[in-house]
Amino acid sequence: MVQFYSDSVPEDYYKSRVIVSSAIACLFIFFLLIRLWNLQLIKGESYDDLAIENRIRLLRLPPPRGMILDRNGCPLAENVPSFSLSVIPGALNDLPMLVKYYSDPLGYPPEKMRSMIDKSFSSPKFMPFSIKKNLSMEEVSILKSRSLPVKGVSLNTRPLRRYPFGKMLCHVIGSTGEISSSELEKLGRVGYRPGDLVGKTGIEKEYETYLRGEEGWEQIEIDAKGRRLASLTRRPSKPGSNIILAVDASFQKFVEDVFTERAGSVVVMEPDTGKILAMVSKPGFDSNIFSASISEKDWKSINSDPLRPLENRSIRGLYPPGSIFKLVTSFAALSEGLVKPETTFICPGELEVGGQVYRCWNQQGHGKVDLHRALVESCDVFFYELGLSLGADTMAHYASLFGLGKPTGLELSQELPGLIPTNFWKERNYGTFIKDGENVTIAIGQGYTLTTPIQLAIMTAAFANGGNIMRPFLVEQIRSPDGSVIFEQNPVVRLNIRHDSRDWDLIRKSMRDVVENRSGTGKRCRVPGLNIRAKTGTSQVVSTREKAKSPTDVPYHERTHAMFAAFVDDQPRKIVVVVVIEHGGGGGKIAAPLARKIICRYYGLPDPGEPKE
Amino acid sequence: MGTSYLGSVFKSSLSQFEWFLPLNAIVLSLAGIALIYSATIPMGPTGKSFVIKQTAWLSMGLVLLALFAFLDYRMLERWGTWIFVILLLALISVSVFGRVTAGSRRWIDLGLMRFQPSEFAKLAVVIVLARSLSERKRGAIDGWMELLRNVAYALIPAFLVATQPDLGTAVVLILVAFSMILFVGLSKKLWKVIFGLALASIPILYFGAQYFLLDYQKKRLLTFLNPDHDPLGAGYQIIQSQIAIGSGGMFGKGFLKGTQNQLMFLPVKHTDFIFAVLSEEWGFLGSSLVLILFLIFMLRGLGIASRSRDDFGTLLSIGCVSIIFWHVTVNVSMVMGVLPVVGVPLSFLSYGGSSLLSSFMCTAVLASVSSRRFSYLT
Repeated sequence: MVQFYSDSVPEDYYKSRVIVSSAIACLFIFFLLIRLWNLQLIKGESYDDLAIENRIRLLRLPPPRGMILDRNGCPLAENVPSFSLSVIPGALNDLPMLVKYYSDPLGYPPEKMRSMIDKSFSSPKFMPFSIKKNLSMEEVSILKSRSLPVKGVSLNTRPLRRYPFGKMLCHVIGSTGEISSSELEKLGRVGYRPGDLVGKTGIEKEYETYLRGEEGWEQIEIDAKGRRLASLTRRPSKPGSNIILAVDASFQKFVEDVFTERAGSVVVMEPDTGKILAMVSKPGFDSNIFSASISEKDWKSINSDPLRPLENRSIRGLYPPGSIFKLVTSFAALSEGLVKPETTFICPGELEVGGQVYRCWNQQGHGKVDLHRALVESCDVFFYELGLSLGADTMAHYASLFGLGKPTGLELSQELPGLIPTNFWKERNYGTFIKDGENVTIAIGQGYTLTTPIQLAIMTAAFANGGNIMRPFLVEQIRSPDGSVIFEQNPVVRLNIRHDSRDWDLIRKSMRDVVENRSGTGKRCRVPGLNIRAKTGTSQVVSTREKAKSPTDVPYHERTHAMFAAFVDDQPRKIVVVVVIEHGGGGGKIAAPLARKIICRYYGLPDPGEPKE
Repeated sequence: MGTSYLGSVFKSSLSQFEWFLPLNAIVLSLAGIALIYSATIPMGPTGKSFVIKQTAWLSMGLVLLALFAFLDYRMLERWGTWIFVILLLALISVSVFGRVTAGSRRWIDLGLMRFQPSEFAKLAVVIVLARSLSERKRGAIDGWMELLRNVAYALIPAFLVATQPDLGTAVVLILVAFSMILFVGLSKKLWKVIFGLALASIPILYFGAQYFLLDYQKKRLLTFLNPDHDPLGAGYQIIQSQIAIGSGGMFGKGFLKGTQNQLMFLPVKHTDFIFAVLSEEWGFLGSSLVLILFLIFMLRGLGIASRSRDDFGTLLSIGCVSIIFWHVTVNVSMVMGVLPVVGVPLSFLSYGGSSLLSSFMCTAVLASVSSRRFSYLT
């Protein structure tokens, strides 16, 4: 039975089926043609009426963008209305009149006005073409007083993003701008259209989906020229959610004002939570210039600035940590059992390794030093010895425990990982392993090692919170426009460093004495009544160390970076401060006083000033 | 000796080369680019990139055509299983690490370009089905196992595509597979049971749809049944596209002059609703001309199927023709409001690289079958 069909299959079995298929194809297309005929020719006229006479048009109602607020609700990014004058080229009827009446209030000479109108004719016929954007309130009031019989001209309002504090916190907040064609390609299917505003950098970009809100629509009747006749129904847009940062605007303002150097960064954080209290990167830019379309001149001056003001140095500035890294080296050496609290080395002011002489910053030498004194006075030779016995890979292991060499996980995605050299890395990039002379420099945070200020803050915080490596965060809460909390950040511990409490206490005591001792490198940060613990760093950018020159004789780009990392953990409100001043000079001299001022402001104490020599 | 033999083979394959179908395809694609130009003008400067990209893909399509048409289609028979397996892996990888656009994962990012494996899945299913259906003795399918095996070739990729979710392509995949199976034929015994099952499954489908369809798919189905029920949401597309088509009349409003189009009443008009732009601006004359060009393409393709030297070639051609056929039928019906909006592009005309390239691959396969219809050609 199964074979019945196949046995009796004729030779042209498929040929005849092709004919049937062709008939089916013809039939379907014929059916489509009939339907088309029906739509276009029989019902055509009524559809034509629908299309030409009163037509329903869906108007998009863009949602107001959510605000970015500080912890006290002070707006850091808000919306203000911006006016623009536009023409609908397809509806213009009286060009001379248009030029005559509008060129003056707009401040355009008649020729420019005419050329703008000519330009509008090459754009879509029925779409508004803006002649002048971001009109001042004066211009708006003049234009409003002149309601004229010229058709096809309209005064449009659209929200403009405004940053009330201008440059303050610009790298964190970021900026918005008109959607680019490559962004449109990605976002077009989620409802973005040409001309829409999107976050370009910073929080504005990372939290775009929350800030944007939900578009509404309005059904309106318009005539054939695209003029509005009546509004039928509307669904209002839903405003975007508000992003609440952990930053306190007045504190941030203080930190920015007190930072008067050319370039650098300050990170202030709560050690137990990872909450960012202030984050400064200098130089900065005024985010407002990006909101209105940025002028060629502004863009050039920002883009060609050798200090690169667009860069967020707190998360992207790569600096050798300098002596701050000695905290890691100390912990590594103690944990590995290479040194005991009582172990001493003699510092004669220099150490010869592999035929090369490595100097201590103190050329007279520190004499007999133990770990405590080596940290307090930042003796280099002591740590050269540790570097030699630890080796790069062991130091890299401990550095990675402290979160160095990888992004800290802050919400801003452009964060750089920095670099912690290992033999594997060196071999892959240079073809050789790390030499002893390089181990020596790694131990004092020089050489290939690169860290970002936020990494240093996380590392320092570990000494304040019992060894927890926190994930830092800027955004504390996200609230929907009606005020309900839709997201709340909880502290995240990424790693806990296991430590012997005696080792830990030794390092913490040394950090205390960095500030308290008369010989401590951080004594300029001393505040009576506060137990500040800190470590200074003066990281070199060029390898020669010539003491002869006074700092001002050295060209700017060869000066050392001044670094300072400090924390206070025995108060109810704890704080970690990391100050990096690019090419600022000595960490203890330049960066420590800045940290002192910030800490005093945070605890509401008067600044005691520099200690007397 | 050798050179002259090869030369004659090349000459004869050139003289036997199928010129007609590729020309037809190119004419349709050029018309498509003109329509995309018209449809994207209202978007302002960003619209231009669509035209530039589509032109680039058309040139890639032509290169593909030249490469594939001179290859022997029987190669596909040998490599069929592998092509199918690779496509399945690609589809799975899309659901695992594809890009999400508008809530759907359909794309694989190749850096230089993104591509949509689901578009190529249709061709892979055609190849594997053509092989499986031509390996057996001719005649109607009579065994359940045989039927189920062949149906499975389409259902597995269709399921993967539907989960992306890309309902349109999944529907076309199934329609293409059923066309090929019906072309081979089913025995009366099978027909009776299928008919019975179909009747019984109507209530199951009805309730199943309520559970398994996504919200937007349900909305589209509901609005198809009654467009005025939600004239500004999902029904908006259907109503506006019917107004666009209807107001085109006999001769249309002229190139770049469609008010529905230029005033941006039509959504997604450069992709799935390109036919509405055509009808509005070129009228009944223009749109029926395009439909007739498609019909000629299909009839030519069916002619190639009947003249093929082997059954594999015949079934391959049937599959390729039915891909184009179902795209045209489903898309145009959807635009005219005869079928629900399922998101199926119009072959050759709609904007989209993967869709254009897969249409050109179909053309290339048909050309290859046509050029090798005589058995003396190796």
